[in-house]
Amino acid sequence: MNFAYLSILVFSPLLGIIALLFVPKAKESVIKTVGFLATLPALVLSLMAYFQYRSGSSLERLDEMVNWIQFGNPNRLGELFSIKYELGVDGFSLIMLVLTAILSTLAAIASMYIKKEWKGYFMLFLLLEVGMLGVFAAENLILFFIFFEITLIPTFFLIGKWGYFEKEKAAFSFLIYNGLGSAVLLIVIMVLFARTGTSNIEALTSILAADSSSLVLSEGGKMGLLIAMLIAFGVKLPIFPLHSWMVRVHVQASPSVVMLHAGILLKIGAYGIIRFGMGIFPEQFQDLAVLIAVLGVVNLLYGAFLALVQTDFKMVLAYSSISHMGIVLIGLGALNEAGIQGAIFQVVSHGLIAALLFFLVGVFYERLQTSNIPNLGGLAKGMPITAGFLLAGAMASLGMPGMSGFVSEFMAFLGLFREMPVLAAVGALGIILTAVYLLRAVLGITYGKAHREFAGITDLRKAEWVPALVLLGIIVLIGVYPSVLTEPLTSTLETIMLGIGG
Amino acid sequence: MSSVPLSAYLALGLILFCIGLYGALTKRNIIIVLISIELMLNAANINLVAFSKFGVMPSITGQIFALFVMAVAAAEVAVGVAILIALYRNRNTVNIDEVNTLKH
Amino acid sequence: MENAWIIPLFPLLSFLFLIFFGKRLKEASAYIGILLSLASFVYSLLVLFERFTSPTHKAESVWLTIGDVQLTAGFEVNQLNALMLVIVSLVSFLVHTYSKGYMHGDERFHVYYAYLGLFTFAMLGLVLSPNLLQTYIFWELVGLGSFLLIGFYFYKEEAKKAAKKAFIMTRIGDVGLLIGMILLFWQVGSFEYDEIFAAVEAGAVSSTMITLTAILIFIGAVGKSGQFPLHTWLPDAMEGPTPVSALIHAATMVAAGVYLVASLFPLFTASETALMTVAIIGAFTAIFAASIGLVQKDIKRVLAYSTVSQLGYMMLALGSAGYVAGVFHLMTHAFFKALLFLAAGSVIHAVHTQDIEKMGGLWKKLRVTGPLFLIGTLAISGVPLFSGFFSKDEILIAAWAHGNTVLFWLAVIAAFFTAFYMFRLFFMVFSGESRSDMKHVKESPSVMTVPMMVLAILAVVAGYVNTPWFGTFLGDWLTEGNPALGHGHIEGPSWIMIVATVVSLLGIFLAWLIYSKRSLSRDWLGASTLYTILYNKYYIDELYELTVLKVTKGLSLILRFIETFIVEGIVKGVSGAVSGLGHLGSRFQSGQIQRYGAVAFVGLAILIVVFAVTGGYLK
Repeated sequence: MNFAYLSILVFSPLLGIIALLFVPKAKESVIKTVGFLATLPALVLSLMAYFQYRSGSSLERLDEMVNWIQFGNPNRLGELFSIKYELGVDGFSLIMLVLTAILSTLAAIASMYIKKEWKGYFMLFLLLEVGMLGVFAAENLILFFIFFEITLIPTFFLIGKWGYFEKEKAAFSFLIYNGLGSAVLLIVIMVLFARTGTSNIEALTSILAADSSSLVLSEGGKMGLLIAMLIAFGVKLPIFPLHSWMVRVHVQASPSVVMLHAGILLKIGAYGIIRFGMGIFPEQFQDLAVLIAVLGVVNLLYGAFLALVQTDFKMVLAYSSISHMGIVLIGLGALNEAGIQGAIFQVVSHGLIAALLFFLVGVFYERLQTSNIPNLGGLAKGMPITAGFLLAGAMASLGMPGMSGFVSEFMAFLGLFREMPVLAAVGALGIILTAVYLLRAVLGITYGKAHREFAGITDLRKAEWVPALVLLGIIVLIGVYPSVLTEPLTSTLETIMLGIGG
Repeated sequence: MSSVPLSAYLALGLILFCIGLYGALTKRNIIIVLISIELMLNAANINLVAFSKFGVMPSITGQIFALFVMAVAAAEVAVGVAILIALYRNRNTVNIDEVNTLKH
Repeated sequence: MENAWIIPLFPLLSFLFLIFFGKRLKEASAYIGILLSLASFVYSLLVLFERFTSPTHKAESVWLTIGDVQLTAGFEVNQLNALMLVIVSLVSFLVHTYSKGYMHGDERFHVYYAYLGLFTFAMLGLVLSPNLLQTYIFWELVGLGSFLLIGFYFYKEEAKKAAKKAFIMTRIGDVGLLIGMILLFWQVGSFEYDEIFAAVEAGAVSSTMITLTAILIFIGAVGKSGQFPLHTWLPDAMEGPTPVSALIHAATMVAAGVYLVASLFPLFTASETALMTVAIIGAFTAIFAASIGLVQKDIKRVLAYSTVSQLGYMMLALGSAGYVAGVFHLMTHAFFKALLFLAAGSVIHAVHTQDIEKMGGLWKKLRVTGPLFLIGTLAISGVPLFSGFFSKDEILIAAWAHGNTVLFWLAVIAAFFTAFYMFRLFFMVFSGESRSDMKHVKESPSVMTVPMMVLAILAVVAGYVNTPWFGTFLGDWLTEGNPALGHGHIEGPSWIMIVATVVSLLGIFLAWLIYSKRSLSRDWLGASTLYTILYNKYYIDELYELTVLKVTKGLSLILRFIETFIVEGIVKGVSGAVSGLGHLGSRFQSGQIQRYGAVAFVGLAILIVVFAVTGGYLK
């Protein structure tokens, strides 16, 4: 593979930022086009990498490594305490890269609803994309953390400037929660770095795996670090009771930002737990498995029950995200192949489904200026195609077979039923509740009598077809032919299972 | 001539310093505060000069430093009084406890 | 038979094509739907004939890999599957044809046909499934098809509610099925029917586990087949277009529960408790729904409760180890109930009302529909020589032979009820004089009547494939080479047949006395409490409203309370504490320069003292 393939992939949106610098502020359509085009290189490159991997080429050829920062005396410490710029991917992170690239492109299309200051918006948007891509390509914790922080700042401004009525409040609560989360994460990373002298994920894994006599870190220390890490990523995921910021963001941010936020940013939490929590501390993770599964069930039911009584469709979706992230935790708590694979599937699947649903929220909001369910109704008459997509999205979300939601839900529960049948049976109630709240909301919007005349309302425009159709297409593809995900995941899963000795 | 001991100079410096400190911390009028600060600086000057004569390594350096201090003190007073006049023109007061706008 | 997988693809093609291009085709969409469903039917017939001579065919490939476990997808053609294929594709084809007349003029005509295609695809896929997982997948998809079609008139508030209710009620059952299926998987290590049966037979699964999983799976069947206590969605589902009721809520999807129990029959027979549960639920539903059917006033609702009741019959048959009886009744019921619904649709099409009290005297006006409806009514009432008679008889014999005496008599009473309310319906609609302004009543076009005639013929003759008089071909064929399914024919005392005949004739006679000859008061129940209870369907809906819904809602509100006051409260507390600390700190920032100086001086003094005491070093 070519030199610096991943670097080009990760930093390609920067080109767009540079190009945007030369575009006058007021040229709306030019800015939007440039912003959209700038997401394409990453999409093409990530898809190429995916297909090459599928056709058998090794991912290690993509690895990159450059010396970067060195602490202390290199002659004495050698490789220790040096931070390298290293990028690399495995099957899981490659999938996340592809997902990020796809959702970024689609969200760029959905950014047509942005009404002001397009230039600043797209610059931040592209910077956010760099951060997200970097998070999944980083091979060491410090680089990961840097990219992680890069996602934070653009998101803060994107929420705070281009959102709805209470956008500032939402942005601040986003920043505070996530800031605290990353502070905790930084502590974890620094402790690990100070103790082991490296922050490379693979090296850390092998050092800690060989450390059976607790020379590097005491048992309690490892457990403490893992819990801290769970809290840090738990804010992101979010795990009950750390979720209230996320509801606010989902409701207040503009649809295109929420597409990325619900689609990718929340998934960084899951990615972190799987890759670092489970990867670096497999033994401790096993001790916490029951707790995680319980948290998962709590998330699932808590989100579902709350979604049941919301009147704002965005709130319903926000709580539904919490509920669905519960399934990720359920899968992880099961700690067997089915569960973990289900969790990863859920990460991808929910990313797609949430993006689709929030995009449709944007479509409705653009036309009706409301997402309050009692104010809507009967929209299937005026907007049959949008209504159809909405129903399809809801079906995917509630786990209709033939769509990605089912595969992930099924595997997560399959996994948990093996380990903790009673808990899983309680969690299965969530499946019913999901159907109840989603149908209540979706039918409330599209079925029934129209409460007011929506005269002259237009159905999906051409540009709006693209995100809806692409997302639904991928959702169905994964649902019908899950091998598109299982095959790249095989080696990742094997590594994880090896770690937890399963 | 050399009957005055070092301790006397130092005691004088200490007394002057304490008077200055007391004035700087308690007086409301900024002019008095400025004068008190001058007192403290001069207390330091006395110490410098005394040590230049009776120190471990007597030399001219101490006296030169005292000259420096005087120059700096003069500059400081000039700036201080300028601020004071500006303040008086704007707020019609020279009381230090009424000058707390930086707090807000 | 190797290409049987192609059968469900025809309707899928129809769905995809119509959903994308149907809008331009308008009513020509019907031809595509009809043609493709006909293709399925013809192919199914070929497969059935081939199956008569050749053994079961099964083909699978890997669908999903989980670690070392490989889950497969494929298809299987065994006797039951082949039979179901033909039933489903035939009824679907007929309904496709019929709908062309019935739905004429609807602006979402093509959507209707697309949905029909989707449903038929799912249903055919369901009956071809060789393993539980695939069954579950299509099981959910038929639910989706049903949901879409019930809610077809989406602008009607009732249709929306009915669709939602149908989806959620069946979903409750589905979760039972899902749990049962997964538990079974971890016991057996496979979703394949064959391997499950082999493991059960080999005793690899503990008997408690068998009972538990069988009952959980049965809950799925209860949801789908509208058995008590999850039956309430089925009558409400009549909000959909009538041909849909015929296809989904009479002949095919609701029978999927019965089909599921039948295809897992060896699992159920391994546990006496599970069998007993099936039988009791079945028998209870049969009489329970029949009693409600006695007093309903909506033509489709009467038929809906009759469906629930008949499905209960089938469950009773399976629960009494009468595999053949259950499947046999499933088949005959599919024909005569589809016929009844289509005929009812034809009536509704003609008079534009569903209230039977506003009908009457239609016999003379609907010269084709009337006799067809009568044939269906005779068949379902169990009048000798019609198909329902033979299959019902089989069920009664199975129940008796299995020793379920109480259930047997319940079933006999239910048969009496059935004959009574069906003829009540028939007489109220067709006999007497026109009870309101019905001048413009016209017979339906032939595109609607021809499918009904086909079904009518089948409703008469379908019974003869399995009779105690001419031979039990169906039973022998179904159980051939598979002793786990029981015998092809169960011997029973001959008085049962006589009892069944007498009971049904008695019911018809009574209905005739009351509703046609009127020698007895039509308000035989009057305004009694019993009538009110029956008319309000035992207040089951209200009961659910008061318990399940209220509890769920209450729980949600409690959690919302927790969310707003505790979770957010903690957040507020933390942020309050931080800003409180800030305020406290800002108190020191008085802006009094002299105070700062004093503090600095005191601090310095303290430091000096400390240094003096400790000799210059802090420990």
